[in-house]
Amino acid sequence: MLSCKPCLWILVVACLLSSGRMLVNSRWTGEDAAENQPRSGQRFAGLREALPQRGVIGYIGQSQDSVGHYYLAQYALAPLVVDFSPNHPMVVGNFPTTPPQNLPTNLKLLRDFGNGVLLLTNEDAK
Amino acid sequence: MAIALAGILCVTTGFLVVALGLAPPSSRSTLLLRISLSAGFGLAVFSMTYFLARWSGFLHLWTIDGAVCAILLVALLSLRKHHASAVPDLKAPAQATSKCLLVAFGFALLAALYSGVLRALARPYGSGWDSFAIWNLHARFLFRSGIYWRDGFSPLIPWSHPDYPLLLPAALAHFWTVMGRETTAVPTTIGLIFTFITVGLLFSGLDILVSRTSALLGAMCLLSTPFFIDLGTWQYADVPLSFFILATLVLLHLHDGFAIRGIESRSPLALAGLAAGFAAWTKNEGVLFLLAILLARMWLTSRQSSPLRRPISQIAPMLLAVAPIFALIAFFKRAIAPPGDLFSDPATMLHKLGDLSRYGAVLKWYGRELVRFGDWWLIPLPIVMLVLYFLMRSNIGGREKETVRASAAALILTLAGYFFIYLITPRDIYWHLRFSLNRLFLHLWPSAIFLFFVALGSKPFANRVGDPEPSAP
Repeated sequence: MLSCKPCLWILVVACLLSSGRMLVNSRWTGEDAAENQPRSGQRFAGLREALPQRGVIGYIGQSQDSVGHYYLAQYALAPLVVDFSPNHPMVVGNFPTTPPQNLPTNLKLLRDFGNGVLLLTNEDAK
Repeated sequence: MAIALAGILCVTTGFLVVALGLAPPSSRSTLLLRISLSAGFGLAVFSMTYFLARWSGFLHLWTIDGAVCAILLVALLSLRKHHASAVPDLKAPAQATSKCLLVAFGFALLAALYSGVLRALARPYGSGWDSFAIWNLHARFLFRSGIYWRDGFSPLIPWSHPDYPLLLPAALAHFWTVMGRETTAVPTTIGLIFTFITVGLLFSGLDILVSRTSALLGAMCLLSTPFFIDLGTWQYADVPLSFFILATLVLLHLHDGFAIRGIESRSPLALAGLAAGFAAWTKNEGVLFLLAILLARMWLTSRQSSPLRRPISQIAPMLLAVAPIFALIAFFKRAIAPPGDLFSDPATMLHKLGDLSRYGAVLKWYGRELVRFGDWWLIPLPIVMLVLYFLMRSNIGGREKETVRASAAALILTLAGYFFIYLITPRDIYWHLRFSLNRLFLHLWPSAIFLFFVALGSKPFANRVGDPEPSAP
């Protein structure tokens, strides 16, 4: 059986190394502000006012791979249920980084709230 | 003002629940144990009362909270003499603590507090996707939807996992409702509370059961796990789950510690059952742990049965405490939430179970994550602890060893359950492993630290980092 004292101090040193790095890495970064801004839901504040209190609305975004933007839209617009489909009478258009291009012809713009947030209507779904 | 009052009511509720099982604290460690358990149990009760209030439509929360407190107080006054068990210090006597170790612990605690609080303030909306896509979204639906709160469990948004249990979202919604508004202060504070009460529970549990040195080292191991502190501020349900898993084990070990010393009390078993039930109300993985701990305890009690300690008398208090929570979860899953996606396609599931490459992939990730899930710097703590375990001689007795084995078996069964889930996952297996395995390991990490130090006992640390040799029992 080896002496345990060095082993125990290895445990303490291992802990202190990680604690030390944790301390050094703890600082406010620009990344935090960039993360907070979309989660605050400010982009959707105007749209929320214009929508009914409850129900289901459709969604169209800039591309299939921007699912995070869709989740953030649902988070901001709750308690409305935002379905990832444009087949609803009212559809949220969410284009945070690129302007909308080639929107389906059955979608008509009702109102542009700025910052890439649109309220559209689907004439086929009425 | 409302948040402070609600906070006091919440902790008081938890305090009364814990007081039903444990007598007034007799030392600073038992006080810390009581405070840690009270905060966690209080939040769990708050979430359940909110869910029931939403379901029944009677949302006068101050009245409900006051009534719950009053009922618990009456129950405590009438039952305490018969049921509550004092928490004696079960550790080896006359142990001093090394000053170096105290300084090291102080440094780890301050580093974790600084890092955790700074991170929580810097990211008031949480980090990662699950905070806004699952937990806080469910809380918003519960709070904002009024009588239409079931809208949040729509099958149109399956990615938000509407079948996930509601401990965290309903606790958040409870506070927002009594405050009358949403504020990020609530999830931020609850995240920090769960993080540090887990540390407090680990410290106090080890201090009562083993030694002050083990308590300091154990708490230090958790405080020095950067991913644990970080995840505590993400506003996820993983750290709350790790708290309830640890609470279950600490209470079971307290019960068994009493029993070994001839103090027969079933109230810690009932509290352990409550904690396991709360784990199941926190995340689906908690249901797995609940089943695993019940199986492990049945195995343990069947080995230790005697005319005085029949297995049923050991399991019944746990089952009785779990039953109402389990009924609530079953009601939620059957009547409100849409079915989950894991078991939706039995044929594909069976096909995946027959694919050996999936076993290899999961095993490989298990091995890899074991050394890196905590985001440690240079020296991974699980490796150090594994080496120490084989190098050090334990001085715990046969019955204590059996309790440790049962608890370890519960954790291993839970890990095996996670393994099975990865095998059958409907999502891409590598994606699933990449984004969840470190969190799943973290569920069990505080309990693994606890078991490591309980398994070693007090002897290895005596005369090693400054302690005198403990006297023989």
